[in-house]
Amino acid sequence: MDLQNQQRVKDAADKFGPENIVVILGSSDAEGAEIYAETVTNGDPTFAGPLAGAPLGLAVYHILEPEIKEEADQAVWEDQIGMMEMVLDGEALAEAVKGIREQYSKYTL
Amino acid sequence: MGKLSGKKLILLGERDGVAGPAMEESLKNCGAEVAFSVTECFV
Repeated sequence: MDLQNQQRVKDAADKFGPENIVVILGSSDAEGAEIYAETVTNGDPTFAGPLAGAPLGLAVYHILEPEIKEEADQAVWEDQIGMMEMVLDGEALAEAVKGIREQYSKYTL
Repeated sequence: MGKLSGKKLILLGERDGVAGPAMEESLKNCGAEVAFSVTECFV
């Protein structure tokens, strides 16, 4: 994850409290989604950024997971995300993020 | 009240996946506040 965005995640966790934050990913591939999810839960796996050694344990979901989709405005969802939902492997992305969440997240929805 | 109600959202979009603004728009009325939203791209 971009180092600047790692800092923004860290600042948001400090400001709002990690229990109040939900990170939602729009990643296109499962491997990338796992790295993002790990970064915001267990810390930066590359040890390069501000989240290195910072296991925030944030709640993390992929936008295509049912828990998130059911919270969205369905008409807007179809318009904004519907096409990518058809193109991306939502099941693999959901499984990837869920795996990391179950391992490292201290908070869930 | 929805599960996301009262939460602060961090939307980490991706140019080749789902972009930040698309997620923001879809979740606008879910009762959560967007802390920040970005769209990263990989080359």
